[in-house]
Amino acid sequence: MVAETKPEAGRPARIRRRTGSNAMSVFAKQGILIAFALFIVGFAIFSDRFLSAENLMTVIRQSAIIGVMAIGVTVVVIGGNLDLSVGSMLSFSTVLVVDLHDQMGPGLAILVMLAATLCLGAVNGLLVGYARLNSLIVTLGMLSAIQGLVLIYSGGQNVDIVNQESTWFAIFGRGYVFGIATPIVIFLVFALLVHVLMSSTAFGRRVYAVGGNPTAAVFSGIRRSRVVFTTYLISAFATGCAAVILGSRVMGSQNNVGQGYELLVLAGVILGGTSLLGGSGNVLKTVVGVLILGFIQNGLLLMGFAYYVQWLVTWIVIILAVWLDVAAKRGRLFSPIA
Amino acid sequence: MTPKMKTWIAGTTAMAGIALAGGALAQDDPVTIGITQNNVGVDSYQTTYEQAFVDAAAANPNVETVVLDAGGDVARQIAQIQDLIQQRVDAIIIWPTNGNAVVPAVRQAHQAGIPVVITNSNIAEEGMDFIAAFSGPDNITQGAYSAELMCEALAEEGQDPAEASGQIVQISGQPGYTTAIERQKGFEDRLAEACPGVEIMETQPGDWNREKSQRVMEAFLTKYDTIDGVYSGDDNMGVGALNAAKAAGRADEMAFIGATNFAVGYEAMERGEYYGSIYQSPVDDAEAALQTALDVLAGEDVPKLNYFETPKITQENMTEFSKPVF
Amino acid sequence: MNNALTWLLRNPIWGFVLLIFVFFSVSNEFFFDPQNFKNILVQTSTIGLIALGMTLVMINGNIDLSVGATLALAASLAIDIQGWEVFASWGSWAILPGVLAGLLSGVLLGALNGFIVWKTGVDAFIVTLGAMLGVRGLVFIYTQEQSFFAMNFAYSDFGASSVGPLPTLAVLFLLFALITHLLLSRTVHGRNTYAVGGNREAAVNAGIRVGPHMLINFVIVGFFAALAGITLSTQMGASTPNLGREYELWTITAVVLGGTKLSGGSGTIIGTLGGVLAIGILRNGMNLMQVPAFYVLVILGTILIAVLFLDKQLTRRGKGELRT
Repeated sequence: MVAETKPEAGRPARIRRRTGSNAMSVFAKQGILIAFALFIVGFAIFSDRFLSAENLMTVIRQSAIIGVMAIGVTVVVIGGNLDLSVGSMLSFSTVLVVDLHDQMGPGLAILVMLAATLCLGAVNGLLVGYARLNSLIVTLGMLSAIQGLVLIYSGGQNVDIVNQESTWFAIFGRGYVFGIATPIVIFLVFALLVHVLMSSTAFGRRVYAVGGNPTAAVFSGIRRSRVVFTTYLISAFATGCAAVILGSRVMGSQNNVGQGYELLVLAGVILGGTSLLGGSGNVLKTVVGVLILGFIQNGLLLMGFAYYVQWLVTWIVIILAVWLDVAAKRGRLFSPIA
Repeated sequence: MTPKMKTWIAGTTAMAGIALAGGALAQDDPVTIGITQNNVGVDSYQTTYEQAFVDAAAANPNVETVVLDAGGDVARQIAQIQDLIQQRVDAIIIWPTNGNAVVPAVRQAHQAGIPVVITNSNIAEEGMDFIAAFSGPDNITQGAYSAELMCEALAEEGQDPAEASGQIVQISGQPGYTTAIERQKGFEDRLAEACPGVEIMETQPGDWNREKSQRVMEAFLTKYDTIDGVYSGDDNMGVGALNAAKAAGRADEMAFIGATNFAVGYEAMERGEYYGSIYQSPVDDAEAALQTALDVLAGEDVPKLNYFETPKITQENMTEFSKPVF
Repeated sequence: MNNALTWLLRNPIWGFVLLIFVFFSVSNEFFFDPQNFKNILVQTSTIGLIALGMTLVMINGNIDLSVGATLALAASLAIDIQGWEVFASWGSWAILPGVLAGLLSGVLLGALNGFIVWKTGVDAFIVTLGAMLGVRGLVFIYTQEQSFFAMNFAYSDFGASSVGPLPTLAVLFLLFALITHLLLSRTVHGRNTYAVGGNREAAVNAGIRVGPHMLINFVIVGFFAALAGITLSTQMGASTPNLGREYELWTITAVVLGGTKLSGGSGTIIGTLGGVLAIGILRNGMNLMQVPAFYVLVILGTILIAVLFLDKQLTRRGKGELRT
């Protein structure tokens, strides 16, 4: 693999024209990190429990499920598409892995579940990659269809793992690796792996190329359909991993457990500065985006605000963060639209 | 419109007319009861309820049913009520998605001469004139029972429960949903009476969702160094809270009280981790609703409010109850 | 005959509407009945009204995900304000300030979305995804999680009333559909809507002020979302803070089924009407045929993808293959 890695890995290898002031562009480029720091300082001032190691670990652990999914969706979005089906897919995979656990043991259950989840991802990939249908509508349709499939599969009943004490399945959601909660380990290792995949492999460059300029990508010999297809497999695999964490954490599942996750996941991806137009984005920044969402939620709850205040704050944060990002790229604060 | 289309429409009208007449003939003897449920599949209680309802109706040769589900959406439920009126069913059973918002639709059914039975969760006061009867659990009393259980759980050995003291947190059900509101109200009112020494430090919704409740409890555990008890609006959320406390190694210092005993709650009670709950059977709930509707149709004098028994269940008396199937 | 066929080819969704109409008429005894048609019209009017505005926004190449939350806010305001002490002596006129406040909230939120899209240049999808969360937060803060109830039955009587043979809500919907259709097909604003969505640079060169133009369309969709919230609340005589969840998804689905392209530049109100009716008839028909709720989800999802697929096959001819 010939790696022409740049220091700012993850960005497309395209030269950007910058006309704006340098200071602002630096500020805005790292805007998401600065916002992150500001939030942590702010919450730390208002709640003395916020900065405790225990609480920080709790937040990262809680963010792991959305985080792992968001990493997968980031890959899809960089490829120029959306994946809204991940919410139902999470319900599907969690119900499946929990239900199969008692029938065939944890190992086999995880394998079968991953295979089934990859099949759903393949359907997305076929429809968007090969049939060239609009990804928003396809994955919206799949969101509804998969939710129906879950309910048909389980008959609408909750599923539970009966013997929770003696199964090694518990390690994924409740266990520790070298003193660190397993969900955190899975989250960060997965993020690193996908980051390397996207920034230093030929496949990663193809995804950026296909998302950035599909026509040019095709002319340069990239098989666009296959690349898009693969991004959906990655997203489905990520959702399967998230389902293992979730199922192990709760040791049971409701059929609608993933409802609404698709939009939270997307919010995390967007906060990380990935453009919905495709072709740019960074997996590690998605991690930061997801953590910001987690810290907003946790910080506001610790400060005693009602849970719905976080939605209002998220609104403002999303718009400010993306605005800064966009402004830095075009070199001026306000849009040139007349 | 082209003439061709007109002929075509006329043709279909005639066909539909014949179909309608045929339908009317076949529909002589048995009664048709339509039901629109809140959100089947969202948890096992509702799913088991539907199963039990269908089974109970199938066991009665004189009953035909139209079983619908609103998927938690008020607007869809109103549309379904209209669709049931359209089918001229003999009675409509409604499990309201929202106690206020279905009132006008209930009124329409009432005006169309179709008796309405509300099941599981009652509608707003303003709608009571338009329904034939309500059948379901008494959620206020359930909340009060849970409060009494909390007092008992927090009382020291040999202490009068009324003297109990402690600091507790509450995880409520879906905001805006009648069952959640009533259980919370029943719990808070009775707790203040039964053991004024027990203080509710904070209440957050768990949306009837175990994972959500687990997250809420994790925040509580970070925030409060002392938690003596946790009241959850149902056992599904209660077990989520228990999961969180166990993970933090603090489950032993607090008492868990729930409502609507789920199988997971029953098992946790067996293991001695869960103090008590309220036993509420979806099968009783469904059968009571169907029976109430049949009584109304038979012209019997049915009381407005029909509560079925929902007793307290604790580690001590749990052997008297069979394990919930959901 | 030939004319009808080409028309159908251009609006394939109406062919689908016809198909399911015939199917349900034949297979269910209760479907083909004027009363049921009225029900369908009322039931589709909520999503339908929003879809009218959404069509304009989507032809512009934008999207609005915040409509469901806006709907809930307008409904809550309309119901709550008409019960205020100040208006106690107004009798049924107390409804007026409530409805006005509800509509105003929609217009303002639409303007806010439009303004942010215009000035920041952030993608409308992101701006309105944020607003979807934030406005829902506003609803919960305003209502304190409570549902409101209209004391005055005159309010819910309006929702159940009729104009001649047709339900008032259906008339309202059809009337606004006609107005929007005329706006889109007969006015300068309508022509600009296509121009901005089709080729923004060309539109700028032609002297169209793109920013304010898009803002107006966001205001229109905000107004329609609020109006839909109010008509829906007249059917319920109440409002709930969770009202309208996922409506944005169904609205977008209906508009896309109606042939509007997500990339902008093309779409019609007639198509949108077909898309809305398709979903309404499917839901109504499946209710009447007692299709189990779990299967309804699968069927709706599959049909959505299938129609998209067929539409692609129909419009594929003669077009470049590389662009999506």
